[in-house]
Amino acid sequence: MGDQGGLEESQPVDLSIHPSGIVPTLQNIVSTVNLDCKLDLKQIALQARNAEYNPKRFAAVIMRIREPKTTALIFASGKMVCTGAKSEQQSKLAARKYARIIQKLGFNAKFKDFKIQNIVGSCDVKFPIRLEGLAYSHGAFSSYEPELFPGLIYRMKQPKIVLLIFVSGKIVITGAKVRDDTYKAFENIYPVLTEFRKVQQWCALPSLHNSPHTKKKA
Amino acid sequence: MATFELYRRSTIGMCLTETLDEMVQSGTLSPDLAIQVLTQFDKSMTEALETQVKSKVTIKVVPSAQGSRFTQGLGEGHLHTYRFCDNVWTFILQDALFKNEDSQENVGRVKIVACDSKLLTQ
Repeated sequence: MGDQGGLEESQPVDLSIHPSGIVPTLQNIVSTVNLDCKLDLKQIALQARNAEYNPKRFAAVIMRIREPKTTALIFASGKMVCTGAKSEQQSKLAARKYARIIQKLGFNAKFKDFKIQNIVGSCDVKFPIRLEGLAYSHGAFSSYEPELFPGLIYRMKQPKIVLLIFVSGKIVITGAKVRDDTYKAFENIYPVLTEFRKVQQWCALPSLHNSPHTKKKA
Repeated sequence: MATFELYRRSTIGMCLTETLDEMVQSGTLSPDLAIQVLTQFDKSMTEALETQVKSKVTIKVVPSAQGSRFTQGLGEGHLHTYRFCDNVWTFILQDALFKNEDSQENVGRVKIVACDSKLLTQ
């Protein structure tokens, strides 16, 4: 499989969509579909390859395919969740392949109401970020509790997207149902990230934070 | 105590089953006793494998660098199929390398069936 990130980098970035010049890489797509027929999960687990079924632990068959490399949760009701794909098309293709496997086992599986439920993207702004400062000035959207989780959780309202922002400059963008929301959320946050860019040397901190007392943190 | 019947499919288990069948057919053994012998065989196999077998075997499948499952060659195997159902794991390995103390062998395709021995004591 081609490396998506590499592919996108080799093409010129459309600056009208990505003014930052950075295109978040899609890492995981979660989709659902209704096969619209009752399923005998034990029969599926016994007949299909690469299936796990442990009803004591979880009431679904867990099945995997290699291309597109994905995992499906298949429920007795006929509903299915497909995870792990790197693009919307791949997620749909994978879901179709699972539906085909179920059909081949003798079930009258349809392919109803396919829907992308979540898109997770990530990127690297390649500079460190002052999370405390960001959390303080964007208090309404931010949750930063380093004792619980090292990243800042930013709940953007428009688009309604959650971003995980790490000191390292690595960003995770989740909660989108369309990839444009992922891109929009990143472009919205990017100017904020540059504003709270951490300057490596403590002595070169912006004057706001450059009181002698901050030295003790060094 | 519960037993696993999976050793009945081994060469020794098949031979025992055949012999018992013959004896039951010729009337020298009652069917009940034959069943009892098989149950004892299940127990004895489990116990013997647990206590008598000292040798260790390692099974290795080394995925090829490109991750292509079609490349053939030494140590370029992969997990062809897995399954977990009714508390039994089934694995089919392609191009697995079996190693024990003094020898090693490449096996083109091998099926591993594994049960949870904890279930026996329940």
